This record gives sequence, C-alpha cells and structure tokens, in this order.
Amino acid sequence: MAAGPYNYSYIFKYIIIGDMGVGKSCLLHQFTEKKFMADCPHTIGVEFGTRIIEVTGQKIKLQIWDTAGQERFRAVTRSYYRGAAGALMVYDITRRSTYNHLSSWLTDARNLTNPNTVIFLIGNKCDLDAQRDVTYEEAKQFAEENGLMFLECSAKTGENVEDAFLDTAKKIYQNIQDGSLDLNAAESGVQHKPATPRSPISNDQPPSKEGCAC
Amino acid sequence: MEEEAEPPHEKHCDEELQSPTVLPWDRFSNWIHCCCVVTFDLELGQAMELIYPSHIKLTDKEKMNICYLSFPDSNSGCMGDTQFHFRIRQCPGRKAAVKAHNSYNRDCPVTLQSETAFYYGFVYFRQTKDRSIRRGYFQKSVVLISKLPFVALFSQLVSIVAPEYFDNGEPSLEAACHDIDQWPTPVPGDTLNLPIMGTVIQVRIPCRSDKVTGSTQKAPGTHTIPAHTILPSLHEVDIYSAFQSILPHVQLLWELVLIGEPVVVMAASPSVTSACVQALVNMIAPLRYCNDFRPYFTIHDSEFKEFTTRTQAPPPVILGVTNPFFAKTLQHWPHIIRIGEMGGFGSSPKALNKLKKAASLKTLDSKPGVYTQFKTFLSKDKMILKRLMKGATLKRPVEAQNAILRRHFLEMTQSFMIPLERYMASLMPLQRNISPHKGPPRLRPFDADEFLHTVEHSGPQLTSGIKGDWEGLYRRFFKCPNFEGWYYQRQREVNQKLQVLHMDALSNSNLTEWIEDKEEVEIVDLILRIKEKLKFASNNHTVVQGESVERLQKHLATIVQALPDDLQTVIKT
Repeated sequence: MAAGPYNYSYIFKYIIIGDMGVGKSCLLHQFTEKKFMADCPHTIGVEFGTRIIEVTGQKIKLQIWDTAGQERFRAVTRSYYRGAAGALMVYDITRRSTYNHLSSWLTDARNLTNPNTVIFLIGNKCDLDAQRDVTYEEAKQFAEENGLMFLECSAKTGENVEDAFLDTAKKIYQNIQDGSLDLNAAESGVQHKPATPRSPISNDQPPSKEGCAC
Repeated sequence: MEEEAEPPHEKHCDEELQSPTVLPWDRFSNWIHCCCVVTFDLELGQAMELIYPSHIKLTDKEKMNICYLSFPDSNSGCMGDTQFHFRIRQCPGRKAAVKAHNSYNRDCPVTLQSETAFYYGFVYFRQTKDRSIRRGYFQKSVVLISKLPFVALFSQLVSIVAPEYFDNGEPSLEAACHDIDQWPTPVPGDTLNLPIMGTVIQVRIPCRSDKVTGSTQKAPGTHTIPAHTILPSLHEVDIYSAFQSILPHVQLLWELVLIGEPVVVMAASPSVTSACVQALVNMIAPLRYCNDFRPYFTIHDSEFKEFTTRTQAPPPVILGVTNPFFAKTLQHWPHIIRIGEMGGFGSSPKALNKLKKAASLKTLDSKPGVYTQFKTFLSKDKMILKRLMKGATLKRPVEAQNAILRRHFLEMTQSFMIPLERYMASLMPLQRNISPHKGPPRLRPFDADEFLHTVEHSGPQLTSGIKGDWEGLYRRFFKCPNFEGWYYQRQREVNQKLQVLHMDALSNSNLTEWIEDKEEVEIVDLILRIKEKLKFASNNHTVVQGESVERLQKHLATIVQALPDDLQTVIKT
C-alpha cells in the first residue's frame, strides 16, 4: 500500500478549554456545522470536531478536541493538552467567575503544551451585551499582557467564530513558515502530510491519465 | 434508465423487530397524516368539522387551504359525488418526515418519494338535495391528507371510506382509520394486502430497481389471500382519458413539462383538472417533476397572489383551475390547456384541436384545446396518434390505450435521458484512484457543452426516430429544476457508491502497519476517519457490506489499544 497524497497538507490539533457552560461545544458546533446548537448537553469526556480549511492556498485539517469543563474530568488533562498546536481559551462575558479562572486555565495550557502553541482567548456570548459582566477593554488588556490573541464571539449568532479558528490556524502556519515551529520536534501538534513531490495534493482533479498506483 | 430487474424483494422484518412497541397510529401515519371532514356551514362557509385522529395538528393556514380545496370552486353541476385531489404546501417549521419514509424513500422510484414540504389531499365530495337542511342541500367532503403520492390507491381508499361515513357517521371513520392502522409498512417491492372496511385492496409498491417498462406490473399470483380489489397501480392515473380531447398536442405537452414551463389547466370540474395535472406530471416518469404543481387550485388559496401576480413572469408551476375568474387572471400565462368547458361560458363542446395562439384567449374563448405560442423542439410523431385514433375507432379498452400512451412517453423520456445517464457514468472517477488515506474521490462536475458534444454521435437519435432540435431541448432542460433534481439524485447515488468503495479500501488496508511511524495527531485522525465511516455505514446499512464494517471495528479496537493509556481512556469515553 503506497501512501497516496492527502486531501490536506497539514493536520493541526486544537483544544478548547475554559469553565463549564462558557459555550465550548457550541463554538465547535458553530464552526464545524455553521449552526447554533441550542440545548447543548454537557460534554462528557472528549468530543472531536474536524473541518478542512485553507490558509494561503494550503489545505489544513483542523482536529478539534472539545472537553468537559468540569473539574472531575481534569484527569484526562495531560493527554488532552499533549501535542496541541492551538488552544482556544474560552470565558463567558456575562459571568465574571469564568473570566477570573482564566489564569488557572492559562497556567495549565502553558505547562502542558509546548512553547509554540498558539493560545487564542475567546470572550463568548457577545450577543448578550446587556448582561455583560466583563468589559472588552479589560479582557483585551489581559490578552496583551499574556501574549494571547483575542476576540469576542457569539456561538449563537456565529459572530467572529470563524475568525477565531482561522486566525489561530494562520498564526500556526506562519510559525511553521518562519521556522519558529519545528515540525520535526515531537509533540508539535502539527502533522505534515507527505504529499507526492511537487504535485498538487487534492483529488478534486479529474481522474487523470496517469492516476496514482495504489 | 435501464435498470436490472432484481430478485423479489426481501421482507424488511428487521425494522419491526427493532421496535417491537408499535404505538397506536404509528402504522396509520406511515400512510396517512390525517382524515378530515369538511362541511358547508351556512354562516361560516367551508368549515372543518372533524380531524381524525384528533391529536393531529394542522395550522390554521393548512386548515383553511384544505377547507377551500375540498369543495368545488364554482357552482356548476357537481351534483352527486365528485372525487379529485389537491396538493398544498406544508407550513414551515412543522415536524418534517415520517420515520418509516426514510427507508421507503431510499428504495422507491424517485417519482413516488414522500413529499417533504407538501401534503396531498384526496377528496370525496357529496352534494345531494336534503329538505331537512336549511338550504335544502347536503354538502360535505371527506379528505385524506398524506405525504405520499399514491394517487390511485388513495382515490380508491377515499371512495370506500367516504360513502360509509356519509351513511353511518363518525364511528365508520374511526373504524376505517383503525383498519389503516393495521396496514403493513410500505416497503418498495412488496405486494401488500390492505384491509379496509370489510374489503381488501391488493397493491404492489414499486421499487427503484424495477425494470421500467411502461406497462403496469402484474401482481404475482402467489398471494392467496382473497383480495377483493386488485389495484393495477399505486399511482398511475388514466392519462388517455385525461388527454383525450387534446391528444394531438401531447408531445408538445411533454416538452413543456420536461422543461418546466408554467402551464394552467382549465376545466369545469376539479376531477378533470386534477386528473389532467397529475397526468402531465406523470408524463416524464421515471424522471421526477421537480416544480410545484397543484392539481386543483382556487382563488382562496394562500398562494393565490403569489401565483397570479402580474408584476413577475408566471411561476414555473402547473395549476388546475375551475373558477371562470382564472380565465382572466391567468390569460397572460404562456400555456393554457382547456378541457371541456368551464362553467359560465356556453359554447360547443366539440374539440377543435387546433393549436391556438394564447392571445386569442383574451376573447374568453372557452373552446377546448391548447393555447400556446410554444414551438416544439422536436417534430411530431404522427405514428402514435394514428395508433391511438385507430384504437379509439376500434373501441380498444382504455387500459390498452393508456398502456400505449404511457409506453410512448416512457420511450421519449428514456431516449432523452439515456445519453445523459451515459455521460454521467463517464464522470465517475476510476477505481484505481480510490485510496484509503485520501478522501473518497468525487464525481467530475457536469459540463453541459462537453455533454452536448457527445449528443452529435450518441444522442437520442440512437433510440428514437423523432427528429428535431434535441440539443435545444437539452439546453432548456439544463436550466430547469427537473434537471437539477435528476443531477443531485445521481450525484448522491454516485457519491454514496464511492463512499462504500472508499470504506472497503480502508477496511482492507493494513492499518496496524500504517500507524507504526505515525504521530499521535495522525493516529487520532485515522480513528476519527474510521468512526466517520462506521457512522456512514450505520446510516446506509443496506448498501454497506457487513464484513467491511466488522473489519473496520476490529481495526479501530487494535488502533485504540496501541495508544498511550491516558489517551485510550479519552478516546473510549
């Protein structure tokens, strides 16, 4: 069996972290299905979402790990963080406690991932502006102090959700391009798919004359 | 279009075994949504008297449409009993499909699929003199509402149920619904015995893999239960009678229906319009007519404004109307079929059968005929007309005339579709391009010009003697929803097939060896891909091989076991 070309050139592992009820699964669902999931059940253990995106002409498959925010699932933490190329850290702009816990989430993320992991801060539920408990400026400052990318999003309306996931991927890709992310290092969280040399890696092309010998 | 005949369909008992608790009304709703009684109230006009079973909810709009469509629209005639059917939009946001219809839709001919956004209504209307009632008339309808286009069966059914109800009242309706609640699930390929009010209707549910021949399938002789009524078809209507007065124009009509032109059928009675509209829609079988159509349509309909507005071009729908008011409202429509007379305009009933310019309708000419300026793409096949005329003079039975006509349309449609089917097959990716570690290959996109290029040497001329501008007809066809509907259907089928092949490839490859030098992220990716395939398999269990699934499940277990312990717990939860 020859390893044929893939549909995508990279796989990026993402994790989504943050307190219970901040809308992690809804953000994932909005991003993969482009739909808001009302009455989302509590996540038990880990769920996965995937979507193939394109960054500067490269097809990238995002492998997104979504875990329970509850403390009792912290047991699975280590394997969860291992090899993550991107971490989306989520709080709920209408619940200050979820914001206050960010530093502990950030400590976990820093300790359990590698230094190049791109961490993106998301203030979710920005459609509920009337009930806002954390100002944009405050969170923005927190993000800057800690070198995080930041956006306020709404899993409900879809506002900025796409941007958060895509900007993370762009940053990771940029790190690969400028060499700051070493793909050969173990646990980089990025898997480069060996494409057949110099040939476009998509099978959308018509069944060509030569095809590939499988 | 050429489809291989399959061995007799196996009974799908497994589905019933899986859910041993069949609730009351479950079986009923496999066939019928509800049964309504509509009456004429002197104060209110048409009014819903009864909905059975009573837990069924219809929106006010749906009720209103059902009420108006259950009565003849004009005051003419209609004394005694009248039968017809209509089709209405389902209000959005309601419960979509009946569960049993999913597997039914997968295996039945596309023309018989359950409607997703429409209901059919099968009406039995009675109008008799009754001195005991204030206005001296009894006027009531029994209506069966269903998402299934089983026109022949449900017309038969309502003709059994309604008279019983008129004679014996509500208990007989209850009894009828109870009978229907005993009916087996409609499974394509099965011949079913359907008990109803002391009689049994036997009918075969057509199957997508049936060889399409044009003649109605004979029920196999192995069924010994005495069937009182054997229905030759679930859905066919008497197209010969429906078109009798406009026979010379049937080929023109076939073109109009094929390319989805707006057509209005005007006649005096909803029985005539509904039969004719249904005959038009059925004309292009096995191709599915994908535009909206209303076998009977009234001025009270909630879509009246939408369909009759003059600010836009007429919508691509087929309407059947009886109210003389439409003669004016729709006189700008490009294609008008008049059958018999509409009430209120006295004129000779003799069919003149000249093609009339639509403009001449402005004079409110009500003579039967087809009013259009449409120039057919194909030349007329005079042979079929001669055969039918001869049949008429020889008093050949209507069934035989129907068979000839149906076969003719089938051959026309097949001649038209076979080159498209052939071209579609050429868009399939090659088997050798299927690899377990890249996505399943996709169908090459349809290229109209490339297709038309093939028509020169292998077009309809290979199977049809009819000359004309086939290419022009194709070009028009490509712009209409009938093409889109066909294309998406084929695309779904092909992609499903490719998924199956891809799944087989994955299950047959040595994954244990493959993961040896792979990173965790990549192994998780493989696990997700296998899970996705298993999900596909459970949604498409009829087309997927059991062995493939078993192999994949084994692969999955082995791969998970090779993961670090902490990750194993994560993947398993």
